[in-house]
Amino acid sequence: MSTVVILAAGAVATAMLASLYRVLRGPTVWDRLSGLALIGTKTVVLLLAFGTVTGTIDAFVDITLAYTLIAYIGAIALAKYFELKEGHEA
Amino acid sequence: MISAALGTALLAGGFFFVAAGAIGVLRLPDFYTRLHAVGKNDTLGVALMLLGFILIEGLTRNSAKMLLLVLFISLANPVATHALGRAAWRTGLKPWKRNGS
Repeated sequence: MSTVVILAAGAVATAMLASLYRVLRGPTVWDRLSGLALIGTKTVVLLLAFGTVTGTIDAFVDITLAYTLIAYIGAIALAKYFELKEGHEA
Repeated sequence: MISAALGTALLAGGFFFVAAGAIGVLRLPDFYTRLHAVGKNDTLGVALMLLGFILIEGLTRNSAKMLLLVLFISLANPVATHALGRAAWRTGLKPWKRNGS
């Protein structure tokens, strides 16, 4: 069972690399922000996979709940900041 | 045993959507089309993968917390995507057209 979970975690980590490319290379600031939001969502799966494999799911579920809230508020706040800011190029 | 097999199937299905979203993020031409790939594929893919983890875990308090996590992600991820798209539109980012301009 844990082999399947490790495989899923590796696949999600590979997909996170694609988002990281968009964060580093994105032509506009919005591309970078959407890549950050993608990485934040996929980190949830990665944390839960780590907890399932190592048998410490009790702690990691709570960490994941807090992380999801912080990533959501961060994405909203950054979108609002760059919307109100002048000269948002690059 | 059945729930473990179902959980594996859900993990595979979730990975299909996550991989489609990753390919879309790499290949599509501008921000709005990439946001289209991100918003739907990533929400559904991560929700399916979390449901797979719930089935593997079984009926415990942790799986109830994971179910709350699925609900919150499927509410919050479209909202964040919409906020990003609206902010980009209000600052004057033009959508991509096929024949340039």
